Amino acid sequence: MISDALSIARKEFTDTITSKRLWLIVGVLLLFSVASTYSTIFRVITAFQQAGRPVASVFSAIATTMAYMAPLLGIALAFDAISGERERGTLRILLSRPIYREDVINGKIISALAVISLAVTLSSFAAVSISILLHNIAVTMDDIARVCLFIVFSIVFSFAYYAFSLFISTLSSKSSHSLIISIGIWIFFAFILSAISSLIATAVLGPPPVRSFQAFNMSQRQFRNFTSPSIFPQEYLDYMRREAEISSMIQAFSINYHYTQITSLLFGYATRPIEFSRRTLTSIPTVISTRLIDIVVLIVFPIVFLFASYMIFTRRQEK
Amino acid sequence: MDLAIEVENLVKIYGKGGSGIKALDGISMKIPKASTYGLFGPNGSGKTTLISILVGLILPTSGNAKVLGFDVVKESVEIRRRVGLLPEGFGFYDHMTALENLVFLATLDKIPSDQRKKRALETLEMVGLKDRANDKVSTFSRGMRQRLGIAQALLKDPELLIFDEPTVGIDPEGAAEFRNLVKSMNKEGKTILMSTHLLYEVGMVCTHAAVIRGGKLLVQGSVEELYQSVREAKGYRYELRVKSGIDMLLQEIRSISDVIEIKQNENHVTVLSRREIWGELLPLVSKPQFKDAVESLKPIEPSWDEIYRFYQEGG
Repeated sequence: MISDALSIARKEFTDTITSKRLWLIVGVLLLFSVASTYSTIFRVITAFQQAGRPVASVFSAIATTMAYMAPLLGIALAFDAISGERERGTLRILLSRPIYREDVINGKIISALAVISLAVTLSSFAAVSISILLHNIAVTMDDIARVCLFIVFSIVFSFAYYAFSLFISTLSSKSSHSLIISIGIWIFFAFILSAISSLIATAVLGPPPVRSFQAFNMSQRQFRNFTSPSIFPQEYLDYMRREAEISSMIQAFSINYHYTQITSLLFGYATRPIEFSRRTLTSIPTVISTRLIDIVVLIVFPIVFLFASYMIFTRRQEK
Repeated sequence: MDLAIEVENLVKIYGKGGSGIKALDGISMKIPKASTYGLFGPNGSGKTTLISILVGLILPTSGNAKVLGFDVVKESVEIRRRVGLLPEGFGFYDHMTALENLVFLATLDKIPSDQRKKRALETLEMVGLKDRANDKVSTFSRGMRQRLGIAQALLKDPELLIFDEPTVGIDPEGAAEFRNLVKSMNKEGKTILMSTHLLYEVGMVCTHAAVIRGGKLLVQGSVEELYQSVREAKGYRYELRVKSGIDMLLQEIRSISDVIEIKQNENHVTVLSRREIWGELLPLVSKPQFKDAVESLKPIEPSWDEIYRFYQEGG
């Protein structure tokens, strides 16, 4: 019954928003977001003279921080959601009430979605507002729309990690195991997979062409034309493109990759060295149509793990 | 007989295939309404599995069970609406107060919102925790948590109470209070099913009992029936506290037919007989010549340890 799920959700929501764990993550997210805007804005404005839309560089810095912190938020909410109840023996007390098992997991999911939405929205708006004030940047309606879209994708991204960690928590009887596995997967997707993908691409393609990087001796004008064939020979650019294709194919297994693909196009920041020259922001409809597959993956990923968690939890027999 | 619980040939196997563990092996039992039913058995005998099936937390592999007329597989929510359960190894939300915990659980028990706090305070008073209502559960001792566990089972004023190892972790005083609470609830007409591995608890509070071992029910019946069956098999015992000069008395007791054995240990005499001889012993010790030599005479009931061993050995 929905009323039972809502009763559990209300309690969970109260517990979470009064917990130190949540506000620590939100605080760290805010701090890193604001701090990273400093290095980014100076790099972009000074080096690339991208003064047309400096707000994009602020957003991109926040997006980079969010790419690391949003999964941690999801994991923090989910790793002990079921296993913790099991460990503490509170699941036995809950299940001895006249409720369905579905109500317990539904209540937790509803609460988590509310908390993630609240935390991501608050921290994003706070980070954007603080950065805009600090750097004295003018904001357009298009910028606001981009931030709103970014918040929606970040909520889904964080929720994807919530769903995955909930799945592990449902399977596990110990929260510590659940936490280790969830964090391990995050580290793998966030740091290790990109390194592995580059290694695999290099292994497949062989070493890059010998005559390559002359950027160290570039003039400022040459530097602005970073990817022109006069600096990078076509052979090298082809190599880099093929390397990027192979690497992307491997990283497509990571939910982080799809999130980064969407936000990078939304804010026009570089995800790979070869893309440094992007100067104009892609329009929002184009972002959505170009990154439709990434958006679908971002939505399907949590649905799959929520369904799996749901099936396991409702069918598992707890003495 | 009005039944609160009816179990028929219940089997529970954990795991699949040949490596599955048989936790319940064809258990059948009938628990009358308004009884205090003790489910006794050593750890791992299948008590918790049986209780978990009765409240619909786990499904039986085969067999049928009905609780208050509801099927444990198809109508488990209806059962939990009417049954107060104290599960084994339960816990509370430590960061919340005792009252907050109970009010939250009362919400899930479908107690109307205007009555939740009142009912929670009532149950806290019943278990002697009313003065700790606003303290966080993290500050509670194990015994206090156990009492809070009993309070949550009482929240919805259920027809049937199921306690799984209710006195584990409670100090002797708390255990005695719990037994008094059980007795008073039974007087109100509630049915109580209580699992324990402590033999003496069964004898102290239960009107009916069952012995379970290795997933099989060894015996069940009223406490008097269980006593009687052991007495009939092992003999009736009486204890006399005596002073000196009782040779004549012992001689006369020995002459009562079916007396098997007389043991004297200083001023204690134990008489074992094949049949009930209370009607013959009492007039004998009341005779003027023995009246001063005998301080007391009483029948000795078989201990629960004896009852358990008796049925373990095949009854």
